[in-house]
Amino acid sequence: MGTLLFLAPPIVACIILAGILSYFGNHILSRGIIFIDIAVAQIAALGTMIGILLGFAENSANAQIVSYAFTIIILGIFSVMKVKNQVLPQEAIIGIFYCIALGMALLLAEKIPGGSNYITKTITGNVLWVTWKSVLYCLLIFIPVIIINLVMGNIIKKVSHGELAGNSMSRTRIYDLVFYITFGIVIVKSVPVMGIFLVFMLLIGPASISRIFVRSWTGRIIWGWIIGAAGSLLGIYISYSMNISNGPAIVSLIGIATYIAAFAKLYMKRADKNILKQINFGN
Amino acid sequence: MLSIEFIFLPFLGCLLIVLINVYFGIHVIKREIIFIDIALASIAALGSAVGMVLFESISVDHSHEEHGFFPYLFSLGFISIASFAFTLLKHKKISIPLEAIIGIAYAVATTLTVIILDKGAGGDVHVHDMLVGTILWISGHQLTRLALVVTIVGVFHIIYRKKFMSLTESFHNHDNKINRHMLWDFLFYFSFGLVVVEAVNIAGILTVFAFLILPASLAVLLGGNWMSKLIVGWLAGITASLAGLLFSLKLDVPSAPVIITLLGIILLLGYLLYKIPKFRRAAKEISES
Repeated sequence: MGTLLFLAPPIVACIILAGILSYFGNHILSRGIIFIDIAVAQIAALGTMIGILLGFAENSANAQIVSYAFTIIILGIFSVMKVKNQVLPQEAIIGIFYCIALGMALLLAEKIPGGSNYITKTITGNVLWVTWKSVLYCLLIFIPVIIINLVMGNIIKKVSHGELAGNSMSRTRIYDLVFYITFGIVIVKSVPVMGIFLVFMLLIGPASISRIFVRSWTGRIIWGWIIGAAGSLLGIYISYSMNISNGPAIVSLIGIATYIAAFAKLYMKRADKNILKQINFGN
Repeated sequence: MLSIEFIFLPFLGCLLIVLINVYFGIHVIKREIIFIDIALASIAALGSAVGMVLFESISVDHSHEEHGFFPYLFSLGFISIASFAFTLLKHKKISIPLEAIIGIAYAVATTLTVIILDKGAGGDVHVHDMLVGTILWISGHQLTRLALVVTIVGVFHIIYRKKFMSLTESFHNHDNKINRHMLWDFLFYFSFGLVVVEAVNIAGILTVFAFLILPASLAVLLGGNWMSKLIVGWLAGITASLAGLLFSLKLDVPSAPVIITLLGIILLLGYLLYKIPKFRRAAKEISES
């Protein structure tokens, strides 16, 4: 029983995150901006470094405010740069932002004692260190995010699929900004706890699997949540019984499952369509 | 004049990487598979880690620069498997962007490498080297290897340029009319992987990524046909690497971040110019003539 109690907060955290990241993951696959969360995490880390250089302590509220403000400004620039006839794909712009943010972080790292720590810090994370307090704290921050996305869900969905009526660019940009800011808050909050690769995998992996097989939008989000939660539970169990780190175990498990799913779909015969029908709730 | 001598070899290294990466960068941006270079680099790293664990765990000699034979063989093997998977999974049945498949490969490869090398000490120190490399300390041997690979891949792509170009132009429509397009797709990824392995070994993942995406983005914005795009990208890349190496020597700061920053500044200036309609028209006329 002792181990179960010890594992309860990380499991709850994984299940909550799997849900919210499945929702955002489906949007991100529709928009084709796969690496946005790694870029946002890197920009937030750069923001924290700027805060430290301005003289604030690392974990102080001021440094966090600087980091959030910096991230929101960059996301604002990103949503303004979306134009109707995109010459440069948005994913390329994300790549450029990521690259320059990391380059600047490396440059600033020279100016801060022990600065290179901040660069490697975003890469790792440990789910097992999650406490009830941080679960509650994350939940408090996620609730407004969830409410905003429930209220504006339909319009944001249309924007993601490029189906907004009239295709007005200024309206698109406003909803984009709402989407990116709520997404950014989730990423900035979850990456230090879970590690950048686990967040990336929970975002892309389950949403990809459900997208390959499921057609309806709600179905995709629900199946993504189920797959993400199941993958996390199984990954925590494997890491516990084989004594390897839990983050890498979950990432490898869901990642390999996505490849298996994709190849299964590629070589699936017509007879299996009945299974697909059941997954799609009869649609 | 000592400084010129000092940066001569690093500059040659940058030049080779710029020449081939701008070309691949334009392809990669058109295909919207931006992060393939980072993914292939980590898949190669996973391969060489597996090779090291399987065959060279007894070896005491941990020379940093030279790749052993088996690790290199394994990284090539892993790259070809990945290239094969990317070729197969770009299919109309798979309703997710190829970039997602690539991203998942990247995450899995990196974390598996962490699991495999978990017991190795000093892992944190390597992260920094892995990101930005040590191009200032490039050896003659590394430069020769890079030159060899760039020449072979470059000549191959020059000979079959029409195939590769039409493959990329029609990448997003699924009814591909090119003969044996799967084979050519595979060759595209694999030859790119060969370049990435050598380049990352010298300049680090981040610098190679910067050379791939930043000058090519400028090229896509300002250039017209393939040739004018290549020239725009090459000019930007060469200017940034020469100025960056000189700055980093004069100001005693690490070279890679300076080069990346300069590439970023050049791209920003280019983007602002592009936003001026008059200039955009002029650029179009020049590139079309």
